[in-house]
Amino acid sequence: MSRNSIKILPGALVCEESKLRGDITIGAGTIIHPSATILAEAGPIIIGDCCLIEEQAKIIHRLPFDEQDTEKTPVLIIGAHNVFEVDCHVESPKIGNCNVFESKCFVGNKVTVTNGCTVGAGCKVTEEQILKENVIIFGEKCQMREGLDRPGLQTLQMETLSKVLPNYHHIRKPNKKN
Amino acid sequence: MSYIVSPDVVKYACTCGLLKPISCLYFCRYCCELRCGFCVCHEVDSHFCGKCCENLPSSEARLKKNRCGNCYICPCCQQELSTRIGSKGPSNPEDPKSTPKKMYYLSCLYCRWSSRDVGIPDQGAATGGWPERENVHANRLQEVIEGYKAFITAQRQQKEREKKKQRGKFISYTDRTGVTAAALRKRIGLPAEVPNTYYRNRPKPPEVAIAREEVEDFPEDLLTKALNLMEITTIDQRLLQPDLQPTTVDKLFPIHKQLSIKRSLRCRSCEHNVSKPEYNPNSVKFKIQLFAYYHIPEVRIVTVEPLRAGKTAELILKFTNPTQHQTVITFLPLDLTDKGGDGDREVVGETQSLNLPEKQPPSLGGQPSSLLSLSSRQPSITIKPRPIRQATNCSIAIPGSKVILPPRDDAAEYDDSGETHNIQDDTKLVVWRKSNKAFVKLAVTPDDGLELNTEIVAGFTMQHIYTNTIATTVENKEPDRHDHNVRVFLSLGNLVGSE
Repeated sequence: MSRNSIKILPGALVCEESKLRGDITIGAGTIIHPSATILAEAGPIIIGDCCLIEEQAKIIHRLPFDEQDTEKTPVLIIGAHNVFEVDCHVESPKIGNCNVFESKCFVGNKVTVTNGCTVGAGCKVTEEQILKENVIIFGEKCQMREGLDRPGLQTLQMETLSKVLPNYHHIRKPNKKN
Repeated sequence: MSYIVSPDVVKYACTCGLLKPISCLYFCRYCCELRCGFCVCHEVDSHFCGKCCENLPSSEARLKKNRCGNCYICPCCQQELSTRIGSKGPSNPEDPKSTPKKMYYLSCLYCRWSSRDVGIPDQGAATGGWPERENVHANRLQEVIEGYKAFITAQRQQKEREKKKQRGKFISYTDRTGVTAAALRKRIGLPAEVPNTYYRNRPKPPEVAIAREEVEDFPEDLLTKALNLMEITTIDQRLLQPDLQPTTVDKLFPIHKQLSIKRSLRCRSCEHNVSKPEYNPNSVKFKIQLFAYYHIPEVRIVTVEPLRAGKTAELILKFTNPTQHQTVITFLPLDLTDKGGDGDREVVGETQSLNLPEKQPPSLGGQPSSLLSLSSRQPSITIKPRPIRQATNCSIAIPGSKVILPPRDDAAEYDDSGETHNIQDDTKLVVWRKSNKAFVKLAVTPDDGLELNTEIVAGFTMQHIYTNTIATTVENKEPDRHDHNVRVFLSLGNLVGSE
């Protein structure tokens, strides 16, 4: 899996300094900051539209230890409108839409994330489970509660970033037609 | 600060016998004694809300049950709630061009709880107007409170009446003639004693609460239904609302934020303030801050050789003079049993504070006049120095020579000239010095026969010259210099095995 094949759809903003390894497809409108890390070790990663991946965020597609010998090459599909905040570490095998991974959180490789979930700052989720829709994990003890709604979209922030980032960083060119 | 002094390896003995790091101690300039948080009077200066920084007088704070009227905390995670704007349709549905109406709701940025979660309607105004929950037992509580209030007033009246009776300014003629009120009453045929007015005016006690006999049936579905922990509140969340104690999350309502206080600390033996904050809640400064850190030389452990039982090890301590005056440090052996210097000092301190009324320094202009009158009072409590409950298991060879520490100079840090102050040092004692700091080499010997890994504690008495800058009398402008003893305890680490 050492060969890199990065497919960037038009409209995506991927900074050159970001660390992308393996087979990665990046959807339209997605913003990837410099020094974000995306590693597709176990299989390809497909990132949906309008995701925001901030500095030092790590998305790693890696199989759990007990499944590493199998010949499967699972695909990590990340839905649309997900926010990966600064220094979060996500190894989840499946991520839905509109999730927020706050700063310094950790999501293990046995946690399936559905839609509208929020993993709070500094929270560590490692136990094998499927996070239900709109679940919010917060606090020192990783308390869980069910939210009423999905977390709000970061449209304003993304608009600003798409204007500002190209002024100060080299941007990878989209290499894929819709 | 805490990260510099946080492993409490160097502790100072407070006058009250407790051992504390220097950052937790106060120094009363008037009695020249160390004081800690446990041996000063704590007084509430002002109540304020930590979020909106509003100052509340204590009577109003009491009326509001020590809570802020405008700020709320999250019932879910106890963080502060912030007001957020959510637009909700146009103000005029017929006119599509009209600006959307602004609606406000409360939201927690930490756990994303919002007032919409529990169905509190959005408000049209940014501040206030949030519906207050009525306590179901409010009437009963009010009744009980009123009942007891009446009870107190009745008791007070009774006491006053008794006082009046005892005073009896006027001599009753009936007393002289032997015809007392009681005798008269007897003659007419009434009971001799006037029934006590207290019993006559006794207020009606509040209705007695009666326990209900019938109990709600045990809900069967507790055993049959799967428990959804996300709908159940935690103990913390329940105790946050003692009047409701909600069991499910849909009954969590925003809670008024509790007020904080500013607190001044007063020395108990001379009643001078050792710490007084500025009144303004926005300010973190102090009007009076007699922290030991600013008056007592600070001791820090630089290095210590591995400690072996019965073997002498080298210990290097750093002394820092925080004051604007030169000081001389003398090492004295630690004497735990004797109140020695300290005990004598205590007496001296007391006589000084007793004499304070005449000596009241004019330099106290910074203090409000009310405090001056307070400070002229005699000490309310005589604090006896208590023994220190800390055993030492290591001896320190007390050096005979003294260490001179120059005054603190904030500019010295930027001075590269290497000024040495021309101090004739005992080179065996002082290893290095710069501006107001000096490294001192001491020899420590852990006691023989200690087991491995026992914590080694050494102690000595540090005598330093303290320059008291409060002019004691008007004509005596010379600052008052005298010796002050502090007992210092050092935790040097654990005993290691022999080589």
